[in-house]
Amino acid sequence: MTRLQRSRTLRWLCTLGAAAALVLVLFPLYAVIIGSFETTYNLFSPTYHWLPISPTLVNYRTVLSAQSGHVLTSLIVGIGTAVLALVVAVPAAYALAKFRLRVTVVLVSGLLVAQIVPSIVIATSLFLVFDHIDLLNSYPGLIIADGTYAIPFAILVLRAFFFTLPNELMQAARVDGASEWQTFRRIVIPLARPAVITVALFAFLNGWGDFLFALTILNGATIEPITLGIYNYLGNYTQDWGAVMASVVFAITPAAVMLVVAQRYIASGLTAGSVVG
Amino acid sequence: MIRANLKAVTAAPAQGVGAGQGNGGTHTLGVKKARSFTLEHRRQLAAWLFLTPAILYVLFAFVLPIVYNVMLSFERSSPESIGSLTAPFAGLANYRFILSDPTSRMAIIHTFEFTAGSLIGQFIIGFTLALLFSLRFPGRTLGRSLIIVPWLLPLIVTGVIFKFLFQLEGGAVNQLLMDVGLAHQPIDWLDTPHLGLLTILIANIWLGVPFFVVLLYSALQDVPVEVKEAALIDGAGAWQRLHLVIVPIILPVIEVVLLLGFVFTVKVFDLVIALTGGGPANGTQLITTWSYNLSFQQFSFSQGAALNNVLLVLALICAPLYLFVSRASLRRSSGAER
Repeated sequence: MTRLQRSRTLRWLCTLGAAAALVLVLFPLYAVIIGSFETTYNLFSPTYHWLPISPTLVNYRTVLSAQSGHVLTSLIVGIGTAVLALVVAVPAAYALAKFRLRVTVVLVSGLLVAQIVPSIVIATSLFLVFDHIDLLNSYPGLIIADGTYAIPFAILVLRAFFFTLPNELMQAARVDGASEWQTFRRIVIPLARPAVITVALFAFLNGWGDFLFALTILNGATIEPITLGIYNYLGNYTQDWGAVMASVVFAITPAAVMLVVAQRYIASGLTAGSVVG
Repeated sequence: MIRANLKAVTAAPAQGVGAGQGNGGTHTLGVKKARSFTLEHRRQLAAWLFLTPAILYVLFAFVLPIVYNVMLSFERSSPESIGSLTAPFAGLANYRFILSDPTSRMAIIHTFEFTAGSLIGQFIIGFTLALLFSLRFPGRTLGRSLIIVPWLLPLIVTGVIFKFLFQLEGGAVNQLLMDVGLAHQPIDWLDTPHLGLLTILIANIWLGVPFFVVLLYSALQDVPVEVKEAALIDGAGAWQRLHLVIVPIILPVIEVVLLLGFVFTVKVFDLVIALTGGGPANGTQLITTWSYNLSFQQFSFSQGAALNNVLLVLALICAPLYLFVSRASLRRSSGAER
């Protein structure tokens, strides 16, 4: 075998290896999608069918009426979490990156540690505190809680981005007589757009995908996001796998859309999250 | 109110400059100092105003819950005391309960096993795939973007999907095992404690691998080509190049990835709830889920809080390490102007 041939075979072996890995990674999603088009009767049979046998829309019809309200709720929670994260994180990250403060090291350390705090610790306390100040079963309560996933991450990622902005830009604005707020509003925010989008996307996904806070802070049925909806579905109708799978398709749609539309931002957020180090 | 403050402060330096000009050249130096002094103050004030929402948020959503959780763990809460924020002092009773309660002890042990197993699995698979994707072959770009998918799914959804795949009857996994002859009858994955834990572990490895791949891959891209070539010219074999050249260079990233992986894994909650609900007979409880059970199902918030603190200490063990590997970013107040 010539060298060229050997390297060509090697390349195809790599492709084969990667393909095998991707099959393992993507099979669960494939199973969900074909499952969502299958009747529960077929899904419950003792043999698993690798290919669709009798595709039907019956599950989507069931789920559309049962879950569309939950999808709306999750959208509100996701957008609320993104807005909260931006309002809190953008100015803070700017201050921590571009101003000389004695407390910067303390605050940034605090944010790094905050990322480590397990959510169940926060949920237990917030439940009792929210009970006292009437924030249980409310959008503001849930969004504040969901912010704990997003905000430390958002500040750290945005801060790393602000480091890349040249100081001269802000100095020029000040020379022209802009106040600190005007500089921030007119110069800094427009330039930070890519990082702001990344952070907003991740915060949205955090709010959309949250289950723990929804389970603890929403203890009634007045507000029910899709994650809780699926969980309750599973509990109440374990038999109805078809409907559960169709609900799952709803729940993973935003992630899928983002992966297609905003892949650049997702990938950069994934690395930025820990290369803050 | 804030705006008025800002105005007052912005007005100050202008006056200073005016006064300086009036006094003529001799005092210029002193005036310049005074001017930069107020300017600096104005900037400090602006920075603090920019930080205010974040500080308030962190105090309310992180500091308050942690402090309250510690208080709670030394109290004797009851379903009646839930409305009143405080309950009678109980000393160490809740911690004694945690240490003597078999389910709590088992949950702590399971959390250790689960975390270690996840990290080992995620690292080995993730690093292998990162190395694979840094080779040149057809389809690598597509592969790299698709491999992120599991990381983006809501955790509860991953749990539900794996419950579907690992079902006793009609589950894809059992079907596969029987098709290839590795099992003669369906395995009851979710209704036996150790197999249940194994299923949770597999699901967690599945969802964590993308994170490892993405980060290790980007670290591998940052290894200078010259270094790799030099090693190749010196006659280093593939294995030698890997563990003598590449691993030492990307070690800082490996540390961060393992630390963050640890942090994600000790927090796992949704997967267990969806897959086994902690059962059968509490055999698959982790610290998080058992704490939830104590607080929200048995309404023993104080016992839950004590278990929470065990988890918090466990998670925070790696905080100093995390701060250490992030030291570059901490020291870097480079952005500070002038």
